Amino acid sequence: MDWINILQNTCRALTGVDAAYFALAAIGLNVQFGYTGLLNFGQAAFMACGAYGIGMTSKYFGIGMWWGIPIGMAFVIVLALLVGIPTLRLRADYLAIVTIALAEMVRLIVRSVRFKQYFGGSDGINGFSIQFRELSPFDPGAQYGIKPFQYSGYTVWTLLVGWALVGIFATLVFMLMRSPWGRVVKAIREDEDAVRSLGKSVYSYKMQSLIIGGLIGMFSGVIFALDRGSVQPDNYSRDVTFYILTALVLGGVAKVSGSIVGSMLFWGIFVFSDNFLRELTKDQPLRIFGVTVMQKIQVGAINYMLIGVGLMLLMTFRPQGIFGNRKEMALDAR
Amino acid sequence: MTIGKTGGRALQFMRVVLVVVGSLFMFGAPAQGAAAESELTIVASVQNQTVLDGVSEKQPVAGVTITVTFASGAVVGTGVTDTSGLISFPVKTRDDYLVTLDIATLPNGFAMIDEAKAVSSIKKDDFTTSVKRATFFTGSSNTSSQTLLDRMIQRGADGLRLGLVIAMCAVGLSLIFGTTGLTNFAHGEMVTFGGLMAFLLNVTMGIPLLISAPIVVVLGGLFGLALNVFIFGKLRRRGVGLISQLVVSVGLSIVLRNMYLYQFGGRTKPLNDYSAQTVMRLGPTSITPRDLTTAILSLLVLVAVALFIQKSRTGKAIRAVSDNPTLASSTGIDTQRIIRIVWFAGGALAALGGIFRGLDEQVGFEMGSRLVFLMFAAITLGGLGSAFGALVGGVMVGIFVEMASLVVPAELKNAPALLILIIVLVVRPQGILGRKQRVG
Repeated sequence: MDWINILQNTCRALTGVDAAYFALAAIGLNVQFGYTGLLNFGQAAFMACGAYGIGMTSKYFGIGMWWGIPIGMAFVIVLALLVGIPTLRLRADYLAIVTIALAEMVRLIVRSVRFKQYFGGSDGINGFSIQFRELSPFDPGAQYGIKPFQYSGYTVWTLLVGWALVGIFATLVFMLMRSPWGRVVKAIREDEDAVRSLGKSVYSYKMQSLIIGGLIGMFSGVIFALDRGSVQPDNYSRDVTFYILTALVLGGVAKVSGSIVGSMLFWGIFVFSDNFLRELTKDQPLRIFGVTVMQKIQVGAINYMLIGVGLMLLMTFRPQGIFGNRKEMALDAR
Repeated sequence: MTIGKTGGRALQFMRVVLVVVGSLFMFGAPAQGAAAESELTIVASVQNQTVLDGVSEKQPVAGVTITVTFASGAVVGTGVTDTSGLISFPVKTRDDYLVTLDIATLPNGFAMIDEAKAVSSIKKDDFTTSVKRATFFTGSSNTSSQTLLDRMIQRGADGLRLGLVIAMCAVGLSLIFGTTGLTNFAHGEMVTFGGLMAFLLNVTMGIPLLISAPIVVVLGGLFGLALNVFIFGKLRRRGVGLISQLVVSVGLSIVLRNMYLYQFGGRTKPLNDYSAQTVMRLGPTSITPRDLTTAILSLLVLVAVALFIQKSRTGKAIRAVSDNPTLASSTGIDTQRIIRIVWFAGGALAALGGIFRGLDEQVGFEMGSRLVFLMFAAITLGGLGSAFGALVGGVMVGIFVEMASLVVPAELKNAPALLILIIVLVVRPQGILGRKQRVG
């Protein structure tokens, strides 16, 4: 058992790109789910908007990569209106059903053969990130940082941009939630009818919240795509939203710091258990009392199972997460 | 609330989860064991692919000679494909192999789609599992001679068949929502449970499907009951809110789906019985006897369910609890008993749907979660919480989705279901048979 390697990987995961893009997506989801009480189960679709936005520009439209960001924003707004207009007047779970369907549809469409010329089918899109690479002040071949937090030059650059975005959006959301707008949104979460009786348009506030959360999620997709240098449709499957939700609930709902710490912890735990189980089954399947319990190829399934169990237990016993305030977890006011 | 008390409850809950999880593992264990302990096998499969109206259909091709050789040219074995288009060759070592299809032995009217692909090479590293497949695709030369009307009738018939299965699975989803308020995102996994259990009994244990199917249906019911007793019933008693319960069901669906993946593996596999079928003509449509039987059986089951809910005492009680749980319990109806019955019935119907789905397509760990979205479209269309709504909505969604595949590529054929969802929610959010006050 190579403990040093496992612990190094775990530490690297705590501040890695995965944690950064999860944190961005979680901040966005927190605006919708944590502050407004909207059950958006399609955050993966909004992430895909950002990723495909920048992927498509340089590859198919022949314009600069940065145009992908306004294009991705346009995608997000269109999708948010599409799901928001019919469902935001209705009970909370309708939005959940429709967004989960939307996420599935977006994934099917971008991976379809029919639209391959635009979205690249199941192969996805590659080779769009040159402009971003050229901006990097780091030597892509060199290693930076002190062990265990050591990353290659290109990753350091992505990390820097990613965590900077996390910082910016965390600050923005923090300020937004202390503004009059934020107070209205939180009041909607607590008691929609009371807010309506004060003459506020609940519908419009919910829609704004859905779009803002989606836009922040979009940047998460941008960072993810830039890091991998490719856009793959299956990276935006509907389960991704639930993993982000798990990270959010782990850190604490309706707390800006919760989304960030939750994402870091989520990836720390996930990478630890993944590395640990892989070490355990590296040479031979794990046997307990002579029964084969786990083979190498089953490690992935077991890890995701643990995420699901974690989500169930958190939701049952500590829905406010580690840092959250139980009073802010008034999801069932409606 | 003291820490000790919460901790005790937490421990109890976790113990319960572990028991449920553990028992599932025992159920599934033989499936994995059988696959892991056999020696290396190369399975060659010859499939005839016809693309009709953008829908690709695959049919096995029998009687084709396949030869497996080492990369050096030494012959490992030669054989002829069976009625499922399959032939397997046991091999001793992980090595580089060539699998060659003898084009001269293809039946009349069949030709390789790409003649260069009549030889498939298998590399040493490809043996990630003990079975390595080499699939050859042929395409027959007959093009679509059907008129649009013929195709519409065929699609309509297929849609009716799909719709009946969706309806069967969705009734439970709708009733559970009606009686407990839970939007159960793990319902698709209850469908998969039926399919996988049928595989376990029929393929792994070799029990004929006619005997194993009723057992699976009962197991499915018990599974549903277990979910209520050990998870959702406990959550209700703790006073966990409906939205939190919904998120718990999402977590449950992740757990179950990955448990299926862990036990069953990622590949879809056919059931033993009734897998090779010849298409017969029935009026203007063509259908296999198996599909006709499952369609008739689904219809009978749905009629029985409808009669049960409409006429029987328990059915009336279910409707009463759906309407108003408090009022129902004050008239002496045992609400918890009704909820248990609903979970049992929902699980049993979902399992039956899983068996039919497994016969129609194949059994796989995601078979139910692919369907869950159509089920939600169905109950939204029919009206959340109404059993009849689920029946009507299921059939309508099935027909709509299949008909849409006349214009939409097959890979996107579920996309119109999203359209249904959105249109229904804009025009009539309570659904066809739903009541307005539920919408919020």
